[in-house]
Amino acid sequence: MPQASSISVLVVDDQLTMRALIRNALQQIGFKDIREAPDGEEALKNLLAKPANLVISDFNMPKMDGLALLRAVRSHPPIRQTAFVMLTGRADRELVQRAVQFGVNNYCVKPFTVQGLRDKIEQVFGQLT
Amino acid sequence: MIGRDYSHDDELRATKVHVTQGESHVSTDPNVVMTTVLGSCIAACIRDPQAGVGGMNHFLLPDAGDGRSGSGGDAVRYGAYAMELLINGLLKKGARRERLEAKIFGGGKLFDSLSDVGASNAAFAERFLRDEGIPIVSSSVGGVSARRVEFWPVTGRVRQRLVAVDNAPQEVRRPAPIPQPASNAGDLELF
Repeated sequence: MPQASSISVLVVDDQLTMRALIRNALQQIGFKDIREAPDGEEALKNLLAKPANLVISDFNMPKMDGLALLRAVRSHPPIRQTAFVMLTGRADRELVQRAVQFGVNNYCVKPFTVQGLRDKIEQVFGQLT
Repeated sequence: MIGRDYSHDDELRATKVHVTQGESHVSTDPNVVMTTVLGSCIAACIRDPQAGVGGMNHFLLPDAGDGRSGSGGDAVRYGAYAMELLINGLLKKGARRERLEAKIFGGGKLFDSLSDVGASNAAFAERFLRDEGIPIVSSSVGGVSARRVEFWPVTGRVRQRLVAVDNAPQEVRRPAPIPQPASNAGDLELF
C-alpha cells in the first residue's frame, strides 16, 4: 500500500481559498509534499521544472484551464505518466468524457468531503497508509 | 437555474430575478434587478464595474461554520464553492478578477440560540473576499432583523429594507442548509 506521505502533489486552482482547502484536506489524508499553482500555465511550468506524482486540478481557470493542462501534461513525455484528478463543479458529463479522452485518471465533484477526495485518490493509487 | 422566479416589475421597469438559497445568478442586463430575502444566510453581490457585469449568490454554511479558523471543514468548502460558482459565472461573462468588488448582506441572528450561525456566515464571507483580494465596498451584516435586498448588477446599486423577524418568511426565519449530495453522488460510470 502506498504511503500518502511519499506521493508529491501539485494543487491547481485559481482561488487561493480553494487551494488552501484542498491542501488542508490532503494534509488530513496524510500528504506532506504539496505544491500549488494558480492556473494551468504556471502548473505546467512547475511540473516541467519538478515533476509530481499527482496533479489535482480545477477546471475553470484563466490562461490555461484544467482540460488544456491535462492535454499538455499528457503530451510532454517527461511528465506524461503523472496521475491527474480533475475537480469539477458538478458532474458535467461532457467535460468528464472529454477529460477521459485526454487521459484523466479520476475526477471529484465540488464541494467535496475529505473522505470523498481520499476515495478518488485511492481509486488511482490504491489504499493509502 | 431551476426554480428561479422571473417576473416583470412595472414600477421599476426592471426584470426581477429572485435568488433563493443555494442559487447564484449573473447578468450584464441593465434592466435586471436581483432580489433576495435574508435571515442568517449571506448574499454576496459582486461585480466588475468596467465590464458591466454583476451577480448575486445566496448561501448558508451547512453547520455553524468555521470561517474564522479556516480549518478546511465541510462548511467552509461548501461556502467556498458557493463563492466560486458566482465568481466563475462573472469571469465567463467578461469580468476580470482584479476588477471585482463586493457588497455583502445578511448574517443576522434572528432567534435566541447559543451559536450565532449568521455571524459565522458573515465571518466566512469577509475572510473569503479578503483572502481572494476582492474589496468589500459596502456591507450590512449582523443584527436581529431579516433583510430584503435588491441589487442592480450592472450599476452596483443596492436597496435594502430591514424586515421584522415576525414578518419574515418562515424559510428566512429558520433556514435549513441545502443538503449536499454525497461526495460520489452524480458520478458518471466512467472509471
